[in-house]
Amino acid sequence: MTSQHDGTRHAGKVPQEKPGFDIAISGRHIAKKFGHVQALTDASVTVHAGEVVALFGDNGAGKSTFLKTLLGMIKPDAGEFIVADQEVSFQSIRDAQERGVEAVHQDLALAPDLSVVDNMFLGNELLSRGLLGRLGVLDRKEMTERADQALRDLSIKLPSLKVDISALSGGQKQALAVARAVMWGHTAVLMDEPTAALGARQSAIVCDLMRTVAERGLGVLVVSHDLPRVLKVADRVTILWRGTTALESPAADLTVPEVVATMVGYGKDAAA
Amino acid sequence: MSTAISPKSKASEPEIDPDLRAVKPQSLMRRLFRSTGSYILVLDVLLIIAFGFASNNFVFWSAQNVQALLINGTEALLLALGLAMLLGAGAFDLSIGSNLVLSSVLGASTIKALAGAPDAAGNYPNLGVAIALGAVVCVATGVVYGIVNGILIAYFDINSLIATLGTMGVGTGVALVITQGGDITGVPIPLQEHFGLASFLSIPYPTMIAVVAAIALFLLLRFTRYGMRTLALGSERTSAERAGIRVKPQLVSLAAIAGGLCGIAGFIDISRYGSTAEAGHVQDPLVAITAVVIGGTLIEGGRVSIIGVIWGTVLAVVLQTGLIIIGVPSFYQLIAVGLVLIIAVGIDRYRVRHRGDR
Ligand SMILES: Nc1ncnc2c1ncn2[C@@H]1O[C@H](COP(=O)(O)OP(=O)(O)OP(=O)(O)O)[C@@H](O)[C@H]1O
Ligand SMILES: [Mg+2]
Repeated sequence: MTSQHDGTRHAGKVPQEKPGFDIAISGRHIAKKFGHVQALTDASVTVHAGEVVALFGDNGAGKSTFLKTLLGMIKPDAGEFIVADQEVSFQSIRDAQERGVEAVHQDLALAPDLSVVDNMFLGNELLSRGLLGRLGVLDRKEMTERADQALRDLSIKLPSLKVDISALSGGQKQALAVARAVMWGHTAVLMDEPTAALGARQSAIVCDLMRTVAERGLGVLVVSHDLPRVLKVADRVTILWRGTTALESPAADLTVPEVVATMVGYGKDAAA
Repeated sequence: MSTAISPKSKASEPEIDPDLRAVKPQSLMRRLFRSTGSYILVLDVLLIIAFGFASNNFVFWSAQNVQALLINGTEALLLALGLAMLLGAGAFDLSIGSNLVLSSVLGASTIKALAGAPDAAGNYPNLGVAIALGAVVCVATGVVYGIVNGILIAYFDINSLIATLGTMGVGTGVALVITQGGDITGVPIPLQEHFGLASFLSIPYPTMIAVVAAIALFLLLRFTRYGMRTLALGSERTSAERAGIRVKPQLVSLAAIAGGLCGIAGFIDISRYGSTAEAGHVQDPLVAITAVVIGGTLIEGGRVSIIGVIWGTVLAVVLQTGLIIIGVPSFYQLIAVGLVLIIAVGIDRYRVRHRGDR
C-alpha cells in the first residue's frame, strides 16, 4: 500500500540516491594482542558501498575480534580505519553508531524483556515533542509506526510489535536484530555469524536481507561459517588466517573447497 | 546462556510458516503470574478482613490502626520503591535500612543544631529553616550514600549484594559513631505535630509523599527513555551496552534515586518519632525485598511492577501489624515475613522457568 508518510521522518529509510561515499568501512593492517595471545596480526578488509563482503576464517582466526575493533568495542594496537571515506578512530561503540555503523551480534543483541518496538529503538529512542519530550517521555506511537514500516521494508513479518521478544523464535529474533541494525546503520552493517542459530529457511531469509541492505547503498560485512550460502550472496571474500588477511578476492572467482583450503592451509603454503 | 532458538518452538505444526506463526497464547499459569500484583491485592484484602475479625473489638479496622498501618507502610514503601528500581536494572540493595538510619541521624542533628532553644511557650527561633535544611540533609545523605553504592557496583564491578552489604556495615557504624551508640532525641515537637503525625482527609502527609513517589516512578518506568533503558539494562546488560547505552552512569543514577528515597524515609522517621530509631531498621531490607518480590518484580531484572510493590508492601505491613494486634509475640513477625519472602521467591523461580529461554 502507498500510505507513505513523509519519507524523511522514517529512520529506516535511506535516501534512494547513491550514498556520498565509496568505501563504507575499511580496516587496514589491524593488530591486537590480548595478553600473550596475538589475536590479530595484520588484518585488513574493505567494504565498498553497496557491497556484501564475507569474512571467513577458522575458529579462533580473529574474526569476531576484528569486527569488534571495527566497531570501536576493542582498541587495536595498530592499524587504521576508514568509514565513509574518512579516517576514523572510534573510542566506543557509540562513536561507530554516530557514523552509521551498526552491528548484528551473534548473541546478546536484544533485551528479552522489552517489546519488539522498544528493542528496535533501544539507544535511539524517539521522544515526544515539547515539554514531555524534554522530560524524557517516549513517543511510542511514532516509534511503533516507524518500527512497523522498517520491518515491512525488509519484508520481515512478526506476529506483534508489542510482545516481549522473549516470545519470539530464534529466527524472528535474528531478523529483528538485522532490522534494528539496518534501521540505524546508514554506512555499514557488520554481522557476526547471523545465521549460526538458524535453520535453512531462516538462514536464506537473513541472506536475502544482506542483499537488500547492500542494495540500499550500505556496506555489509558478514562473518560466517556457512560458506556455501554466504559465498553465493557475497560480492567479495576476505579470508583471515590466524589474525592475518590471507586473501581478498571477488566471490565469483572462489569455490567452497578453495575457501576451505585457504582458511586452514594458507600458512602451510606460505611456509613452503 | 543464550540459546537463540526458543526451546519452546514445537515442531508439530507442519504447514504453518514459522515466520508467520503467531506467538503462542500464553499458558494460564503464565498469564496468572503476569499480573501477580492483582492477586496480592486479593490476598491483602483477605488478610485485612481476617485480622479484623481476629482482633478484639475489630480494632484492626479502627481509624487509629489504619493510620498506623499507613505510616508504617509509608517508610517501607519508599524503601521498596528504590529497591524495585535497582532490581529492575539487575542490582540489589541491602543497605537501605542503614541508609535510612544514617540520613535520619544527620538530618536530626542538623535540625537540633539549627532550631535553637525553645522559649517558654515551646516556640523555636529558627524552626522553619532548621526543618527545611534537615530535610535537605536527609535527602542529600541518602543520595550520596546511593551514589557510593552505585559507583562500587558500576565502576568497581563489585557484586551489588557484596557492595551494599559492605556499605550497610559502614553506614550503620558511622551512624553509631555519630550518636555514640544512642539515639538522637528531642527533635522539635512541631515537626511531629504538623508533618510526621499530621494528616489530611485522614491520609498522613508522609503517606502522600510515598504515593507521589510511587506514581512518579511508575510513569518513569512506563513512559520514559530512562525507564526503558533501566529495564533494558536489567534484562540483558550486554545488549544494552551494545545498543550504545551508558550503563554505568545509569546504574549510579538508579542507586542515587534509591538512596534519595531512603533519605526521604529517614526524614519521615524523625518526623514521626521525634527522634532517630537506629535499632528499628535492621529488618528493613527483609521487608523491602519481600514486598518487591511478592509484587512481581523479577529479581534478575528487566521487569518491575510498581503497583505490585505497593500491594506487596501492604501485605508485609499488614502481616506484621496484624500479628501484633491479634497478640502473637512480635518475634513471630520475622518468621512470617521470612517465610513469605521464601514462598515469593519460589513463585518467582517458577515464573522464570516458565517464561521461555533466558
Ligand atoms: N577478550 C579476549 N581476551 C583474550 N583473548 C581473546 C579475547 N577475545 C578473543 N581472544 C582470543 O583471540 C583469538 C581470536 O578470537 P576470535 O573470537 O576473534 O576468533 P573468531 O575468528 O571469531 O573464532 P570463532 O569462529 O570461533 O568465532 C582467540 O585465540 C581467542 O582466544
Ligand atoms: Mg567469533
